[in-house]
Amino acid sequence: MTRRLLYLSGLAILAVILFHAAGIGFVAMFAWSHRYAPATADPGGSASYWALRGMEQVSVFSIPAFMFVSGYFTAFATGRSRHTLGWDAVGARIKYLLIPYTVWTLALFAFAFIQGRRPGLDGYLVMYLTGGASPAYYYVPLLIQLYLLAPFLIPVARNRPLLLLVVTGLIQIAVQLTYYPALLGATDPALLTLAGAIPKWLFITRIFWFCAGMTAGFHLSGFKSLLSRYKWVLASGALLLIPLGMIEWEILAAQHWPEWLAHHETFLDTLYSIGVIGSVLAFSDARLPLPGFMEDLGGKTYGIYLIHLPVMESTARAVYHFAPALLGYQLVLQPLVIAVGLAVPLGLMALVSRSPASRYYRYLFG
Amino acid sequence: MTTETASVLMDYIKNDLVRDRKAAISPDDDLLANGTIDSLGILQLVAFVDERLNLRIPDEDVTYENFRSANALATYLDSLK
Repeated sequence: MTRRLLYLSGLAILAVILFHAAGIGFVAMFAWSHRYAPATADPGGSASYWALRGMEQVSVFSIPAFMFVSGYFTAFATGRSRHTLGWDAVGARIKYLLIPYTVWTLALFAFAFIQGRRPGLDGYLVMYLTGGASPAYYYVPLLIQLYLLAPFLIPVARNRPLLLLVVTGLIQIAVQLTYYPALLGATDPALLTLAGAIPKWLFITRIFWFCAGMTAGFHLSGFKSLLSRYKWVLASGALLLIPLGMIEWEILAAQHWPEWLAHHETFLDTLYSIGVIGSVLAFSDARLPLPGFMEDLGGKTYGIYLIHLPVMESTARAVYHFAPALLGYQLVLQPLVIAVGLAVPLGLMALVSRSPASRYYRYLFG
Repeated sequence: MTTETASVLMDYIKNDLVRDRKAAISPDDDLLANGTIDSLGILQLVAFVDERLNLRIPDEDVTYENFRSANALATYLDSLK
């Protein structure tokens, strides 16, 4: 099963790219439609719309999967004999998360500066601390917070695993419940503004996944027997939750549009992620497609994560300016941004790896 | 035998994980405490041992104690043979 975690990471980074490609597709469909379609055209409910929503929904397990793997690692790094994770290991992990993040954040700041976007020193500081340089970067401060909490969570994961899972699960559900007041018929504006008010970079939004990985690592035999017993429930549940999650999202989006263009993990997304992560690990003896490629991607997850979205966004902007007609053809746009989002980071990593700058590889890509 | 296994592991760690052949890592260095390998590095190491050394490490044995250093892992792997 341990090796399957590498496959899961590869699958998750592909899912991240698909998720962001779908987001770019929606921007092309709604915000940039004046570049290629008559003003009266309404793409909502079209085949392209549902295909993009499907891509997005299938991919929502990605960040939970990364968090799960990171949590599992803390259990591994603690070992059998130590009470909790040493601060030296926490510091080393954070160092190699922070250095590449800082390099690419500064590069994006410079790119934005050239384009005239200059938020001032306070603005830069807030963006740096919250992962605001790119919509994907919230993941880094989020993960760092969880690593800093790990030494305190580990004794609980080891001795009271159920308590930890229940408490962190309830915390995460409480966060998600802020999305639902409108669904329950609430009209109080204060209650409605709660939706999406909790920032994605705050540890409470994903703490359950990190603790789930940690708990799985400490109680491996129990975790494996649980997976084995429920593997078909997990797999069929994951499949069923794809359309259910899409329906849920449509209902939520109808209440909050257009603020809901930014995706947040919902309760059904959480159940779906449990299904996907559980299934991938439960069927660890089954042969999944492209094992070598996926494991290779799994090992390069962080570098791909940091680079893919700026590259995909730049490509989409280039299409907007130089070939706007393509924006109306998702069948062309999607393969293009997905290919660029994967190939450019991998190419860059290969280039650095084979150059005299290879000694700096870890400072650029983790 | 352990020295030979440790040498194979050191080559992999330096060339494929750290990507710096001249990296100052010794076979007894704590790979986690100094940040030489991370969560994915451990998983890559497990995959490498499986693929290249034809040794499948049981999940329960993927522990800090066995993976702490190249020498610790080599000793563990030789005990599997």
